[in-house]
Amino acid sequence: MAIIAVALIATCKKKNTVAANINAANKVAVRPVKFFYESPQQLVLVSETRNIALPESPASAIPVVIRDLMKEPASKDMLRLFPADTVVRGAYLLPGGTVIVDLGGTTLTQGWGTGSHHELMAAYSLVQTVTANFADARRVRFIVNGSPAETLAGHLSLGKSLSPMPQLVDPRFR
Amino acid sequence: MKRLFALGALAVLAAASIVLAQTSGQGTLRTPAGDRPFTYVQQSGQTYVSANEVVAALGGTIAPDSNGYKVTVNNIVAAFGPDTRYGVVRDDLIEMPVPPITIEGAPYVPWQFFQGLLAKTSSLDVMWDAATHVMSVRPQQAGVVGVQASVANVQGITKVVLTLTGPAEYGILKEQSAYVVRFKSPIQPPFAEEAVEDLLVAKLAFAGNDLRIQLTAPDVVADAYRLDNPPRIVLDFRKATAPIPGQLPTLPGVKPQELPGIRTIVIDPGHGGKEVGAVGPDGLLEKDITLALSRKLAASLASKTGARIVLTRDDDTLVSLDQRTALANQYKADLFLSVHMNSAVGKVAKGSETYFLSLEASDELARKAAETENASAVADPSSDLKLILWDLAQQAYLDESSRFAQAIQEEMNAATGVANRGVKQAPFKVLVGATMPAALVEVGFISNPEEETKLKSDEFQNLMVDALTRAVQRYKTDYETRIGLTQPAPVPAPATATAAPATGTVP
Repeated sequence: MAIIAVALIATCKKKNTVAANINAANKVAVRPVKFFYESPQQLVLVSETRNIALPESPASAIPVVIRDLMKEPASKDMLRLFPADTVVRGAYLLPGGTVIVDLGGTTLTQGWGTGSHHELMAAYSLVQTVTANFADARRVRFIVNGSPAETLAGHLSLGKSLSPMPQLVDPRFR
Repeated sequence: MKRLFALGALAVLAAASIVLAQTSGQGTLRTPAGDRPFTYVQQSGQTYVSANEVVAALGGTIAPDSNGYKVTVNNIVAAFGPDTRYGVVRDDLIEMPVPPITIEGAPYVPWQFFQGLLAKTSSLDVMWDAATHVMSVRPQQAGVVGVQASVANVQGITKVVLTLTGPAEYGILKEQSAYVVRFKSPIQPPFAEEAVEDLLVAKLAFAGNDLRIQLTAPDVVADAYRLDNPPRIVLDFRKATAPIPGQLPTLPGVKPQELPGIRTIVIDPGHGGKEVGAVGPDGLLEKDITLALSRKLAASLASKTGARIVLTRDDDTLVSLDQRTALANQYKADLFLSVHMNSAVGKVAKGSETYFLSLEASDELARKAAETENASAVADPSSDLKLILWDLAQQAYLDESSRFAQAIQEEMNAATGVANRGVKQAPFKVLVGATMPAALVEVGFISNPEEETKLKSDEFQNLMVDALTRAVQRYKTDYETRIGLTQPAPVPAPATATAAPATGTVP
């Protein structure tokens, strides 16, 4: 048994994943974060800033920010764009600036019935939020339930990464 | 009891050690340039290879950064990270069965990372032989033709479209309740067997070089024909009183027209079947209104333009987004219009808007071209070149799509007085791949209770149909005049413009 335990410990040691810097990943500080939502009157993206506790490394902080984006905005003049049951399964920042965002949840899984404007604004609310808060993040590639998906709701192509589209944002919030 | 617990713990540990057991060894990377050794590790049923060693053997470089590793092979940059089984190369995903790992500070990736990397950037294939521990990099097997299959029901005809990666000889055999497409060379099928929800076709099944198309009844017959660029085999299934044996003739009515001008127009009613689209506050379904409006528009255009009008769906069925544009390409359509109703999270959004496709900026194309030119021996740039040509072909239609979208928006705005939200560009899937001027019109906001009520009314629908018909007529006249097909004629301007049309990408 002792031999097996030693072998097991040795194996576990070798199996470190590439978590770049565990200390940086775990060091948490409260920081201001810009979240993008829709202005229902102007039908453009506007932002509010909330202070949230974030890990220091961008790779660890990005999923936290995206999960917070799925919550209702604090401002009553803004509307959340993703379905309430959206689950952020993961978000991964890769070298070069691509963020792979893996979404799930009942609505996105079973088929999100909404129009192109809503779908476009939802996707770009996330793109804008991620790229506005993290200099290393330049574009977002969406996947759904761990696999590449055609669209979120039948319109916007997810076959390529989405880069920020400032024209969707109210100029006062760019 | 203690003894029992100890035995249990031992069993758990033994099981865990099997799961985590790691074996490593020396593998051989076999390329046309020769053999090179590298280290591999097998763990939990996966084979990981030393990224450093394999990249070096391929003549590339690998560099760590705070988010993972950047790999450069033949001037093409790819990346992978620690926690995701997706890498990226350019704008493509590289799918791996599991995320990479590090062992003693060095990155190890599933061997499939290199398979994906080279498949997406060259015509090279990577295979791992678990018995000999050889990872071979070689040109994709010559003579094997990749086949993609899709099925769509269009106006009562079920179309099975087989898209091939290259030309292939084949024959078509009729059986009691099936058609068999028999290829004369090896094929790479997309799946073994797939059931189809359709009135005429029940199942597609690949076996060897055969594709068996199982019918729902013996009295279903097919007409088949070929299309080029890319090579495709199309089988149109319909009900008939008697089956047609053997090789099949082409239906004259389906043969694509190749005369200049706007001869064939494809109207695409958005959504359908289980994809209902947006839902109004009173329960109105987008898929129902798009179909009703598109049918009326098809009738109007047929009588007023003389063009052949094709609907991508004529009933409440689900047609994939790829199928819709594939159908337009297959018919060699001269114009493609996708009809949708819009929706916003707020209830007050209103108005119509028209989209055409946005592509990557031209510097992106230039970048790809530069990468291709720089690619050296290991990478075959032909797939890249095709990509560039495809993008450029689409770019060529953008100006025309823009003119078409502008005509639509002006006419809708003038006729209906709905709020004008302008002409915009977006990467909408249904417009990607259309090899003709193409636009997507959002007639109104179904999420707005007032607009939902309007959209239900025949009066409003007819107004929209008239506006869209005029837009197509205007574009057709303009285009045919520009190519010298018709003499310049006074183009009827929108009668009662209620607001200046907006253009741009701002909503």
